[in-house]
Amino acid sequence: MIDFHVHPVQVAELHAADPALDRAVRDVFGLQMPPQPLATLLLHLDAGGIDHAVMLPIDCTTAHGCTVVSNEQVAWLTGQSSRLIGFASVDPSLPEAPAALEHAVRGLGLRGLKLDPALQQFRLDDEVRAFPVYAMAETLDIPVLVHAGLSWAPKGRAALAHPLALERVVQTFPRLRLVVAHFGWPWVAETVMLALRYPTVSVDTSVLFSGTPAESLRQALTSTVGLDTLDRSLSRQIVFGSNYPRVDPKRAVWAVRELGLRPKLLRRVFHDNAAALLAPTSERP
Amino acid sequence: MTSHLERIGIQTTADRQLLDITPAVRAVVARSGVGEGRVFVNTLHTTTAITVNEGLEDLEDDLLELLARLVPAGAPYRHARFLHADGQMAVNAPSHLCGALLGMHTSFPVHAGRIVAGSRQTVYFVELDGPLHREYTVQVIGDPA
Repeated sequence: MIDFHVHPVQVAELHAADPALDRAVRDVFGLQMPPQPLATLLLHLDAGGIDHAVMLPIDCTTAHGCTVVSNEQVAWLTGQSSRLIGFASVDPSLPEAPAALEHAVRGLGLRGLKLDPALQQFRLDDEVRAFPVYAMAETLDIPVLVHAGLSWAPKGRAALAHPLALERVVQTFPRLRLVVAHFGWPWVAETVMLALRYPTVSVDTSVLFSGTPAESLRQALTSTVGLDTLDRSLSRQIVFGSNYPRVDPKRAVWAVRELGLRPKLLRRVFHDNAAALLAPTSERP
Repeated sequence: MTSHLERIGIQTTADRQLLDITPAVRAVVARSGVGEGRVFVNTLHTTTAITVNEGLEDLEDDLLELLARLVPAGAPYRHARFLHADGQMAVNAPSHLCGALLGMHTSFPVHAGRIVAGSRQTVYFVELDGPLHREYTVQVIGDPA
C-alpha cells in the first residue's frame, strides 16, 4: 500500500535541527500538536498497513517567508527509511523555481513535485510563474501533486486552488501527470470532470471536511460522483492519500475500505495507481 | 513528608494496546526514598488510560474487545470534525470515551520503601489511539525511609 499524501510536519528530529520549523508549522500550516519522533510516523504507517508514503514539503518563501519542511529535510527523511518517498516543492513566484526543481530531482533524488496554490499563493494558470515549473516537471517526467479545494491552513486561500484552473495546464502540458488532492472538495464534480476528460489527471482520496474520514469520503463520492463512476471510468486514476497529520493514516485507510470497492479497484487505489505514477514513463505499462 | 515525581515517556506501537508499566512504577518508588506513603500513577493524555488487572494476554484481549463492544467505532459521535485548536481532524471520539470509562490514574500504598500490590496486580498504560509517543507521571508522597 502507498500513501500519496503525507506532510512530515510533526517529525521531532526535523524540529530539533531547525528552530524555524515550529513557527512555519504552527502559524502557516496550522498544526498545533507537539512533535513526535520519526518512529511514530513509521508506526502510523504500520497501523494503517501502509508500506510506503510520499513526503510533501511546501515552499512558501514568497507568501510567508518560510518552508513548511524543505526539500533538503525531505531528502534527509528518505535517507532514514526506504519506506519514505520524497517529493519536492518549489516556489513558483521565484524565477529560479524550475532550476530548484531540477536540483531537487537530479541532485537530491526527490521523485515528484508538490504544489499548494492556496498556501503558496500563486495562480495555477499563471503562464509566467507556474508554467515554467510545469514544463520542468514534464521534462523531468515526475508526477505533480496539486492541492485543490478547502485549505485547513490558516493562511490558505481556497479560491486559488480551484481545480478548473488546471484545465489550461493539462491542455498546455499533455504529458504532465497531475494528481488533484482531496478530490478537490468542495469542487468534487469539477475535479471528477477533469479526471474523466483527461487521463493524465489523477485524484487522491484525502477528502476531509466534517465527520470521520469514512463519512466525508462516502458523502463526497456517493452523493456527487457515484462509486460506479469510479469503477467504470476512473479505476486507474485514483490514489490513496491520508493527508496525515490532519488525520491518522489508519483512519484514512479504514475510510477507503468502508466504501466497499471491488477488490481489483481497491488494489489499484491502494497501490497500483500510485506505483504507476511514481514510475518513469519508460517503465510504465 | 516528601514528594518525588517522575514524568516517563513511552512509545506505543499500535492503535490500541495494553503496556505493562509495573516495573517502571516499582523503580520510581525505589528511587523516591519514600518509606511510608502512597504512589500515584497518572496518564497525561485523554485518549489513553491507566488500569490495573491480572497480567495475562487473554485478559488484555478481552478488555480491548469489551471496549470495542461498549464504544462502537461507527456510531454517529458529535466529536467528528476539524478542531481548529489542534489543526487536525478530531475524529477519535471512541478513543476519548474508552479513556473515560477506564480512568486516568491508579494508586497504591507504599510500605517499607516498596509498593504494596497483590501478586496478580499489573499496572497497565492503555493506548487507545496510537501509535504515539506518550507520557505518564509517577508521584510518590510520604515520609522518607
